[in-house]
Amino acid sequence: MENNTMIKITNLSKTFGGLCAVQDFNGELDEKQIVGIIGPNGAGKTTILNTISGIYKPTTGTIMYKDRDIVGMKPCDINRLGIARTYQNINLFKEMTVIETIKTAYSWRATYNVLGAMFSLPRVHKFEKDIQERSMRWLERVGLEDHADQIAQSLPYGMQRRVEIARALATEPDVLLLDEPGAGINHSEIQDLVDLIKGLYEELELSIILIDHRMDVIMKLCNWIYVQDFGKSIAQGTPEQIQNDPIVIKAYLGEEDINA
Amino acid sequence: MAYYLTVSTSIAIVLISVMGTHLLTGMNGMFSLGQAAFMGLGAYTASILVVTFGVPFPIAVVASILVTLVVAYFVGFATLRIRQDFFALALFGFGQAMIGLFTELVQLTGGAHGFTNIPRITTPTLAFVSLAVVIFIVWSIRRSHFGRDSLAIRGNDMAAKSSGIDIFKHRMVIFMISSAFAAYAGVLLAFYNRYIDSNSFGWMISVTWIIIVFFGGRDSLIGTLLGGVILLVLPEVLRFASEWRITLYCITILFIINVMPKGLFGSIKLPKFVKQLFTKKQQEAE
Repeated sequence: MENNTMIKITNLSKTFGGLCAVQDFNGELDEKQIVGIIGPNGAGKTTILNTISGIYKPTTGTIMYKDRDIVGMKPCDINRLGIARTYQNINLFKEMTVIETIKTAYSWRATYNVLGAMFSLPRVHKFEKDIQERSMRWLERVGLEDHADQIAQSLPYGMQRRVEIARALATEPDVLLLDEPGAGINHSEIQDLVDLIKGLYEELELSIILIDHRMDVIMKLCNWIYVQDFGKSIAQGTPEQIQNDPIVIKAYLGEEDINA
Repeated sequence: MAYYLTVSTSIAIVLISVMGTHLLTGMNGMFSLGQAAFMGLGAYTASILVVTFGVPFPIAVVASILVTLVVAYFVGFATLRIRQDFFALALFGFGQAMIGLFTELVQLTGGAHGFTNIPRITTPTLAFVSLAVVIFIVWSIRRSHFGRDSLAIRGNDMAAKSSGIDIFKHRMVIFMISSAFAAYAGVLLAFYNRYIDSNSFGWMISVTWIIIVFFGGRDSLIGTLLGGVILLVLPEVLRFASEWRITLYCITILFIINVMPKGLFGSIKLPKFVKQLFTKKQQEAE
């Protein structure tokens, strides 16, 4: 069976003042596929994710999600359509416990309205109990069930990442955008992270766009890779093709410390 | 005795609007310097309806809350998208404009002389029952997803957005509830004091409510309430100090906020606090 296209990006450009962060990016994400975007710092990788998730409005170009143009939609509405994301510099809620953080993802699915909330109607209790269980399951899935009542920001960096991933998963998305999940994580934790992402991908049948500059993460996970440099696409292909592409090697892989 | 009853009834009425500020400023971090204007709007609307047009009191209450909700919707629509510091200024402007309106519409409001001859309909019982209901509502909201969303948006609005929370809509709901509380408190106040004038709804009043919330502890419902009782009783207690009253009042506030930045009662939740008391006693007994 042929896989459907989940996200199709055409001629995407984003400029900040005079700076062109992304120029004419074209890309596709198929159903049940992990696509990687790599490139040195300042290549515009995060900008691409930010335009998909609605944080930035692209200067030109279209982003189709399930054949629907999502350019100009609010971030919350894009999330509700089924696109969840994590951030490179972890964005957790200040002074909030891990379990509460996960529960926020269910807010928009609440089965009660303001009036229900104001008078603590029984359905409030029922819904809250329900999402407590569902949130706990996500925490178990990422291995944080023992830390549910701790303040999320007091956890070690690697765990904070997992909280963010669990929160993204709790919105029950079809597409997951992971912005440098390997950043700030030490070498021994990387393998766990790769296993986690791979496991989630297979179990939940997600489509994932993954940004990272750690080649080991990208090469192990992705079926297709886009290479960005200074806002421009310089190559795309399978991991093997990318590893052997002379342009990529010159722009990026050629640097000695890449596989360090 | 009558004196204590009067003071405590007035405090209960003010605490109703402080509960609104607890939602808006405490939980959501939105500094509205115009909340007292909504109190004025409620007070004037109900008074005009009852005294000038002879509308029955309960209908006037509902009508004044509805009027306030509509006004709050439009004010919110114009201001809730802008940055927090500008929001505070915009609401300051709105509040003072409303004061101007109350003062200038002499035929309706009595202008600078104030609105007189309001019947005394608010009883201490009505005030305290109303306060209890409002506390229950705020407590319920805190436990629902609206409470969680408030802390999420306050803690990191970027992450809240990408978790599917519609920040604008959430703020609108909170802003309207908060304004409705202020309006209802205004109605009770008007029909208790039997007199209102535009100066009692200025920005200073809004600031007082915000101070109460931070003094008692912005994250604690019980803290806000106790802080409110303390700060509203304090001016009465400090009467002996005559002209030093304001100074002492300000020193107390500055002292608490400096020594306890999370407020007098921090994030204490009453059930937890009671539980802690008991567990401590048990441990000591053992």
